[in-house]
Amino acid sequence: MSANNGGALHLRGVKKTYGVGENAVRALRGIDLDVPSSQLVMLVGPSGCGKTTLVSILSGVLDADEGSVEVFGVDWRALRSAEATKRRSELMGFVFQSFNLIPTLNVVENTSVPLLVRGLGERAAQRRAAELLIEVGLGDRLKSMPGELSGGQQQRVAIARALVGKPRLLVCDEPTAALDGRTGQRIMELIQSAARGKDEAGRDRVVVVVTHDNRIFHYADRIIEMEDGRLKPTLSQHVLEESHHVPTFDPADTITQK
Amino acid sequence: MYRLALRMLTRDTGKYLALVVGLTFATLLITQQGSIFLGLIKRSTGVLQNVGQPDLWVCDPRVQTVLEIRNMSDRDFERVRTVPGVAWAEPFFSSRATVELTDGSYKTAQLIGVDRSTLVGQPPEVLVGSLDDLRAPDAIMVDESSRSKLAYPEIGDTLKLNDRRAVVVGICRAKLGFDSNAMIYTTFDNARRFTPLGREKIPFILVKTQEGADVPTVASSIRERTGLGAWTRDEMEWLSTRFILTQTGIGINFGTTVLLGFIVGLAVTAAIFYQFTIENLKHFAVLKAMGTRNGVLVRMVMLQAITVGAIGFGIGSGLAGLFSLQGRRPGAELAPYLPWQLLLMCMAGMLVCIVVGSILSIRKVVRLEPAVVFK
Ligand SMILES: Nc1ncnc2c1ncn2[C@@H]1O[C@H](COP(=O)(O)OP(=O)(O)OP(=O)(O)O)[C@@H](O)[C@H]1O
Ligand SMILES: [Mg+2]
Repeated sequence: MSANNGGALHLRGVKKTYGVGENAVRALRGIDLDVPSSQLVMLVGPSGCGKTTLVSILSGVLDADEGSVEVFGVDWRALRSAEATKRRSELMGFVFQSFNLIPTLNVVENTSVPLLVRGLGERAAQRRAAELLIEVGLGDRLKSMPGELSGGQQQRVAIARALVGKPRLLVCDEPTAALDGRTGQRIMELIQSAARGKDEAGRDRVVVVVTHDNRIFHYADRIIEMEDGRLKPTLSQHVLEESHHVPTFDPADTITQK
Repeated sequence: MYRLALRMLTRDTGKYLALVVGLTFATLLITQQGSIFLGLIKRSTGVLQNVGQPDLWVCDPRVQTVLEIRNMSDRDFERVRTVPGVAWAEPFFSSRATVELTDGSYKTAQLIGVDRSTLVGQPPEVLVGSLDDLRAPDAIMVDESSRSKLAYPEIGDTLKLNDRRAVVVGICRAKLGFDSNAMIYTTFDNARRFTPLGREKIPFILVKTQEGADVPTVASSIRERTGLGAWTRDEMEWLSTRFILTQTGIGINFGTTVLLGFIVGLAVTAAIFYQFTIENLKHFAVLKAMGTRNGVLVRMVMLQAITVGAIGFGIGSGLAGLFSLQGRRPGAELAPYLPWQLLLMCMAGMLVCIVVGSILSIRKVVRLEPAVVFK
């Protein structure tokens, strides 16, 4: 737990370089970040600045080269790969830009996957999946195949799948990029209410949303702007305006409340 | 999770069908080529298959196959008879002969001559007529499946065998030899008359050992006392097979074809399955990111592999079985022989390839960085 101050996410000096020698890309050049529970944090910044790399490391699917990464007290870097895999199944929910549903499984089967991964029986898993699908407004599409759904519906399935295991950390990478404006808003409403929700043990959760999409900035509790592998101390003017003055990230005093 | 793995496999109808069809054809290719090869080799000993009674085949020591004729003399025959442990010995004739059909065309036939009094080496089954009639001069019996090759002779018809008159007295059933020539039975004496060069000569001597005598011992006594070759039927069969394999182009040519078929079939199997897993890699990455352990993923891939493998092998070997059944028709030109050992070998080969194919792909799954899910 070390110097966690009760923060949910706690990163210090996180660095990541892809490749070696001339081809090396320094994707993260030293990230310090603390995020308290119960927040919807948005990670914004130009293409290639390292947003995806950062959330990959946060989710424990990618190893940092340097620094410490703690998520609700779990130190990813201290875990062996098998142990990290198990922790991911307990802790994490994912929503992707391209939905990443398995095309040969129907809606309720897709949604139940995280529970099956944890070892729950198929019946119970599908029952819980169906409940959640009803909540996201897909009660009538339980047996549909992903290919038969619109993009917005597929993303709602993905959100149901991400939430079915009641994860403590929900990571969404560009969840609205493949959707039109109105659909994107609806998806963000779902994600926002997830951020207000609790995990399996009734604890507050954290939602991290990576986005380019300035139309959804106003859903954030906090916006963190990245540039060239680093966090920016103050938000750019355009982000500030489009976010309707959501509080910024301040590395000196890591948490700025709304 | 394993049920999901099966659904991921079977609901992807296009790829699933491609997999099953690919594996079916691989199996068919392997078993069919293999069974034709084996059938061909087995047929090379067709003459042997028809003779069950004797324990030993005695022939010139230089004979390398039952298809080869090197005559022995009557003196050799007398000496074999007197070797201790020999209960009886009878001459056996087997040689090619030319048949002139009623329409004036010529056919090559395999002429078998059996001892006139004992009829040792007689056709395995007589369908029409009586073996007794064979004892008449010029009498012959024609194998049923060979009749088509000889313009369907009936009982009482006359054929010209090596320019001599031969009268059909019966129809029998016998296995054809290597070259699928028509099988014609007659007595040893008649056969010698039909075959001028065979006069006073004996191609084979069939020997029955005395009750309680050790067959290999008797065989070696015959070899020692007469300088002739003496083989059990199995030995003779193996001798003939080895001859076909090593002394003719068939071994090399057909063997290469079979081997290539085997390799191609198996490589295709491995490649198809590898491809299937690679195409699913992204989904495996998603499962991995969500916390599926490597061991579970490996078993999922294995399950998929073994499922398609079993189905493809089942259909393929079933088709090969049908194919070999149709080759059992009497007189069929192709004689596939599909013993369970061949099926087992094919199954083992397929299994190895599927496992190799899936291990190659599993390695990718295991090494997969779950971070690719964000790509
Ligand atoms: N697997 C990889 N191998 C090599 N370089 C990589 C890899 N992944 C990312 N990079 C590089 O690292 C840098 C940061 O990439 P990252 O995907 O984190 O950016 P991003 O902010 O998510 O960009 P975008 O907004 O386009 O998604 C980029 O320059 C990218 O080209
Ligand atoms: Mg990205």
